[in-house]
Amino acid sequence: MSIQVFSVSEVKKLLDQGAQLVDVLSEGEFEHDHLPGAINIPLKRLDATTAARLDRDRPVIVYCNDFG
Amino acid sequence: MIDYKPGKQAWYEENEPREGKAVDQIWIGDVAGSEVPTCSLTETIGDIRRRTGGWDTCVVVDSKGVVLGLLRKKELDADPKATAEQVMRPGPKTFRPNVTLEELLKSMRDHEIQTNSLVTTAEGRLLGAISRADAEATLAHEAAETRTDS
Repeated sequence: MSIQVFSVSEVKKLLDQGAQLVDVLSEGEFEHDHLPGAINIPLKRLDATTAARLDRDRPVIVYCNDFG
Repeated sequence: MIDYKPGKQAWYEENEPREGKAVDQIWIGDVAGSEVPTCSLTETIGDIRRRTGGWDTCVVVDSKGVVLGLLRKKELDADPKATAEQVMRPGPKTFRPNVTLEELLKSMRDHEIQTNSLVTTAEGRLLGAISRADAEATLAHEAAETRTDS
């Protein structure tokens, strides 16, 4: 699996092209705010079962809070 | 898999939209007015004054809209032949668009800021400005609506 780092404008372009957005923060943080259209798979629960929600044929963009 | 390393804070700092409970909060990027006048470093105070009319604020920006300085009434009343660069207040305090209106107002009260506060992206690109009066009025209106709803 290759991992690339993208900017805000690049992320927007990928979303327009059908990419999926995954927020790996906790449920509470996700409920408070998240990027439009994101689904929540908290990092601690990220495994083959939870990732099965994702479409394997479309790019997946994963984000957390910030660089920290 | 793509790692969006800058994360959601960088997204919000570009004034991009959000979902979730935070939609009910007022973030200053939602309400900052984008009509605040701007000028370049080389424009003269006389030209700026003629162009901006009744405004008592003009933001000095570079070609990409990045904030370099600020002209308030005192600077706009300076020698009309002086350039913005010669009289501006360099590096003014700015706020990111994902600061809540309440947080901004607290900062304005704490620092006794009566005039406009500038809203920029993390890179310093100007998004708009919000006055103390508008911030107070918007928050008071919001509080009144909340009381009516409950």
